[in-house]
Amino acid sequence: MEAAAQISAPLALEAYDVQVKIGGTPIVHDASFQVRPGELVAVVGPNGAGKSTLVRSVCGMQRPSAGAIAWLGTEIGALSGRELARLRAFVPQRMPVPAGVTVREAVTIGRSSQLRMLGRMTRADRDAIERAMARAEVGRFAERALTTLSGGELQRVQIAIGLAQEAPVLIADEPTSQLDLGATVEVAALLRNLTAEGLTVLLVVHDLALAAAIADTVIVVSKGRTVATGPPREVLTPELLAEVWHADAWLSERDGRTALHVAWLGQR
Amino acid sequence: MTRRLIVLATLVALLIAAAIAELALGAVKVPPGEVLDILFGSGKAGPNHQIVESLRLPRTVEALVVGAALGVAGAILQGALANPLASPDVIGVTGGSGFGAILIIVLFPEKIALLPIGALFFGLLAAALVFAFAWTGRNRGAIAKVVLAGIAMLSLFTAGTTGLLAAFPEKAPSAIFFLAGGLTSSGWENLETTWPYFLVGAILVAFLIRPLDRLALGDDVAASLGSRPQLIRLGAAVAAAFLAAASAAIAGLLAFLGLVVPHVVRMAGKTSSQTFVVPASALGGAALLAGADTLARTVRSPVELPVGPFMVILGVPVFLWLLRRAL
Repeated sequence: MEAAAQISAPLALEAYDVQVKIGGTPIVHDASFQVRPGELVAVVGPNGAGKSTLVRSVCGMQRPSAGAIAWLGTEIGALSGRELARLRAFVPQRMPVPAGVTVREAVTIGRSSQLRMLGRMTRADRDAIERAMARAEVGRFAERALTTLSGGELQRVQIAIGLAQEAPVLIADEPTSQLDLGATVEVAALLRNLTAEGLTVLLVVHDLALAAAIADTVIVVSKGRTVATGPPREVLTPELLAEVWHADAWLSERDGRTALHVAWLGQR
Repeated sequence: MTRRLIVLATLVALLIAAAIAELALGAVKVPPGEVLDILFGSGKAGPNHQIVESLRLPRTVEALVVGAALGVAGAILQGALANPLASPDVIGVTGGSGFGAILIIVLFPEKIALLPIGALFFGLLAAALVFAFAWTGRNRGAIAKVVLAGIAMLSLFTAGTTGLLAAFPEKAPSAIFFLAGGLTSSGWENLETTWPYFLVGAILVAFLIRPLDRLALGDDVAASLGSRPQLIRLGAAVAAAFLAAASAAIAGLLAFLGLVVPHVVRMAGKTSSQTFVVPASALGGAALLAGADTLARTVRSPVELPVGPFMVILGVPVFLWLLRRAL
């Protein structure tokens, strides 16, 4: 019975044969993947492989030139911007930091997607803002200006803005790429905890050791195509790392710690 | 929060003071008490009643409306283009309005009543051309594209204005007043032609305040929240074009006001949240223009100085002082 229920539950996100061109140049040639509810999925691949473009197009922020994308079973073209904002939140790599905006104000702006035009905030909206700040652990510095935050704090605020949308799927484009080790660990743990609470998370990640540690599924994108999908341990093999990244490297895992062992200077 | 309320309350007080001064002061001084009596319909008939009601009241309303409109136009453009230098200049309106007005002055001097229409029409035309170039093709609606198209159009129309004045130098004296920017005591006529443009602009702005706050967090966050960044920018530019072109039709070119007032209210309120900046810029712009116009009319009475340069000369030192403290 449980298995049957799982099969009939709609996928959080499906993308089939997606192609994306930017200014006439094809960036994504042929990408297909699925995200199940409650998963943490990491999209990995070399620089320029089209990861960010692919993720932006499934988010409805970049129109694909071909292919099909569906959110919870609904074709993306049938969804309005507001409906989409209830299904997914997108956290950019680094948002601009306007002067004179506090953390609480920024998270409040995140909630504004759920309001009608000219509609006022209700008690439920204010509660959602508090909840989002608590989950992303930014309540401590809620009244501080964005301009005074560290990189790690700012990234958590960006996640809080996304959480205020209360969408079932959170998508983040390289959330840790500009963070130091400590802040990366914090953000990684936060994203994993959010998944444990039932959120579906899709990340673009550069750090393969990080992806292997936190992701349930990795999607490997190379030269605009999805070339492999599955659990990190099965997918990120030395052969695949050699083929896609042209690097002599292997991943190891022990006691929840992961490491990428790289022959930095080639074969000895 | 309380800081913002204090700033708003101060601006309201300044606005009321400036409006009463504008109504009371001039060649004939009318005591403020009598001004209020006349406004609320209990004043006795007489020359003072005449002066306040048919000369100063329309001019005061014009000053408040134009000041508010330019303050708001500057605030939403600076927000939409994420650029502290944005003012109605950058979407071509100022250049177009100047050209339209000078065209009437030079070519149809017998139909000078058409001047506001010329300023309004060419102001909107210049903005429409900017939109046509900036919101088509690759990267449509990108900030750099809008600003570059706007500066190009500003240059084009300014060259047209300069060309006209060079060809007809004898018309320059009457053109100067418009280009410098100033109000006149010509009754309700100008407001009767332009009020629908102010109204459309104001309604658009009301719907744009929240989307503009999203845009402050970047195009990606705005898109995540279900907004379309280029559409918000277009809406803001259209609203600003309406407000600025209608303002130019009444008071000539007062771009400085739109540039400076939003910065001052941001510094005073210590926030760039549009829910505060837009209304505060409206109040501040209205108070500033009414106050400056009162001074411009009275310091060398009976000579009326054009309020534009007067405001800039008084405003720039204050602005620079604030800038030194705040940034």
